[in-house]
Amino acid sequence: MAIALGCFAGAVAACSRPVPRSHTVTIQNFAFVPAELTVAAGDTVVWSNKDIVPHSATARDAAWDSKPIDANAAWRGVAPARGRHDYYCVLHPNMKATLVVR
Amino acid sequence: MSATRSIALSLVAGAIAVTTACKKQETPATDTTTPAAVAPAPDSAAKAAAPAAPAINDAQIAHIAVTANAIDSAAGELAKKKGTSKAVKDFAKTMVTDHAGVNKQAVALATKLNVTPEDNDTSKQLKAGGDANIANLQGLTGAAFDKAYIDHEVEYHQAVLDALDKTLIPNAQNADLKALLVKVRPAFASHLEMAKGIQSSGAAATAK
Repeated sequence: MAIALGCFAGAVAACSRPVPRSHTVTIQNFAFVPAELTVAAGDTVVWSNKDIVPHSATARDAAWDSKPIDANAAWRGVAPARGRHDYYCVLHPNMKATLVVR
Repeated sequence: MSATRSIALSLVAGAIAVTTACKKQETPATDTTTPAAVAPAPDSAAKAAAPAAPAINDAQIAHIAVTANAIDSAAGELAKKKGTSKAVKDFAKTMVTDHAGVNKQAVALATKLNVTPEDNDTSKQLKAGGDANIANLQGLTGAAFDKAYIDHEVEYHQAVLDALDKTLIPNAQNADLKALLVKVRPAFASHLEMAKGIQSSGAAATAK
């Protein structure tokens, strides 16, 4: 997204910080959808559990941990430090995904 | 373990046998008809099955679904207490949570559809296998318990997945029931993958 470009060094004083956006990762059929999501630092990410059992979204680098989210519930997190953050479900460790923060 | 192999066989064969309810089960077994995944019958009476798709009714399917969940919950409860490695205990906790969740959906749907789950041969065989597994596990401790538990979980989830794909989903008449079975399938697939992971990593035999 263009907004994510933010301010370049040396840009005019009028440059402004990007407006944080909200993104949703849907948890369904024992998968995170999308499996890889790219967001801007400061954006909000909502993990929405549309499955019939609890799941978590737990970053491997400990950047965030939703703890188990009940079926039909959601958890909101703020995008952490820039980089690729692999995450998984602690209840079902074979469920994996990545959050890319720019 | 022959007990679990016979579960795997009887789950599929039993579902077929249910439809031939009027027929005696002592018909000489010339053909197991079961797909490649299942070995020839080791002990339980091989069910003579017609090659055509069986007609199992929705009430029986609902009963099988509830039974299948109850069995894995029970094994999971036991493993929560007796499991040794962290991997096995965590897996067991997930089994209990997940099968409770799935069962809640199954019961809610049966209630909504006003369907009374109907006992049947497949459910009976599942239950018998489940009881045998519990009895076996109760006599084990430590790494032996973990291994037996996980080995059974692998076979069990594979058998249930096969039954879902080959018998339950294809034969569900009610659209909501079919949709629920389809929705539930990923849970069993995930459980199978998790159990296999523990099995192959040898984590079941290692106290972590």
